[in-house]
Amino acid sequence: MSEVTRLEDVVEFAENPEPRCPCVLLLDTSGSMQGAPIEALNRGLQTFKDDLMRDPVAPKRVEVALVTFDNDVTVVQDFVTADRFEAPKLDCRGMTHMAAGINTALDMVQARKDRYNQSGVPYYRPWVFMITDGRPQGEMPDFVDLAAQRIQEEEATKRVVFFGVGVEGADIPVLSEIVVRTPMRLRGLNFNELFVWLSRSMQAVSGSKVGDSVALQPPGWAAVD
Amino acid sequence: MIAKSLSWLRDRRSASPRFPDGLAPWRVVGASTAGTSHQKLGQACQDAAGWALGPERSLIVAVADGAGSASHGGEGARLAVSTAVNFLSNRRTLGSPNAQKDALVSALERARSALQSDAGRRGVTARDMATTLILLQATPDSVAALQVGDGAAVVNARQNGPTGVTSPQTGEYINETMFITAADAMDHHQTVCHGYGLTGGAVFSDGLQMLALKMPEGTPHPPFFGPLLRFVADATDAGQADAALRSFLASPRVTGQTTDDLTLVLFALDASPAGE
Repeated sequence: MSEVTRLEDVVEFAENPEPRCPCVLLLDTSGSMQGAPIEALNRGLQTFKDDLMRDPVAPKRVEVALVTFDNDVTVVQDFVTADRFEAPKLDCRGMTHMAAGINTALDMVQARKDRYNQSGVPYYRPWVFMITDGRPQGEMPDFVDLAAQRIQEEEATKRVVFFGVGVEGADIPVLSEIVVRTPMRLRGLNFNELFVWLSRSMQAVSGSKVGDSVALQPPGWAAVD
Repeated sequence: MIAKSLSWLRDRRSASPRFPDGLAPWRVVGASTAGTSHQKLGQACQDAAGWALGPERSLIVAVADGAGSASHGGEGARLAVSTAVNFLSNRRTLGSPNAQKDALVSALERARSALQSDAGRRGVTARDMATTLILLQATPDSVAALQVGDGAAVVNARQNGPTGVTSPQTGEYINETMFITAADAMDHHQTVCHGYGLTGGAVFSDGLQMLALKMPEGTPHPPFFGPLLRFVADATDAGQADAALRSFLASPRVTGQTTDDLTLVLFALDASPAGE
């Protein structure tokens, strides 16, 4: 099984040697997302795909992975280039195993970098984009602290850019202790605008060069505190 | 593919050679164009290129790529190019390979201090004028080059064809590189001098790296350089060659690969004896 995947990947990099711009969508699918929020999130994922496809270089450069956390952590989609990404229909249930989700996302980022390095494919700094409507739930406090520490270390050593977005009901003070960057608060259920912004930001990064910093458009979907 | 898009040029070749005599025995065609991502944001091109005849009829070429993240990257790139080209073209002799390398390093130092003082005048920091810099000095029998940052210099060696002279410096991530304004830039330049025969070459900014170099080795891609070096060697009208290069840099085959600013300077040693 793993042999087959590896061969496929090798062929993938041969066919598409473009530099990669990896992004993990780390999504809260706990019970409280039921109903309107999850439906809006699902529509937002389709918007994300559609908007990336309009860019001349993003479909072959931006790589999307999708991980959900509730009672379990599920890798719904391992990294694929945006042109091969299909927006799933997510369901929700249970608790909010956020720290486990964070660890899975960061492990996937490291594994993907290893694969890029083996294949000689250049890459941009990976992004993890976490969206939640709550706070860690059903996990030991120490385990959550360790996950927060890991984000801090990986941000400090520039291994990853980790964004946290809170949907209505999210515990923003707790979230700001977990992520290094100031968490953004989604206004209403404006997932469409959020994913258009994320897509445009990934396009800006994947078309960028030099310097660490790409000037991102201000997120119009975020509430101002 | 590139050969195909440039082949129409030959049909329009003018009967009389119209390349500037001031550069003999060299023909140079070079252009910088604003990348599609910069056009979208209404930004000007932040690349710069310059060339001149140097001591002992050597050719000097400079290419700089101003940092997109720096507020005055484009100004930094232009000032670095003009300072370095002026310094190198005013030297009297080439000297030994080591003397040539030293001269390139001095040119880098002058470019750095020019950026410092200009930044002071503008009330910004040198970092706000961050730019990469590639310098190349060629004779028919040798090439010396210095590079800080990404992009690369390639020559067409008589023996081996397209040969890398310098290679891109990047960090872990493809959009990170070294700038001449960095405090430790004097410790991180690549400087080389080779004593082999050559018939031409190219210096280009990182926007063309994906097309021009085989990655990850960073070696020149012959299907890219073969046709382009033939193009400059066969070109007879500077104006037409310039237009052809610009339309090549704006063509979908190039802009489909990159949204970055693009600079390509191509040069060839005139095959006909001087003063023909």
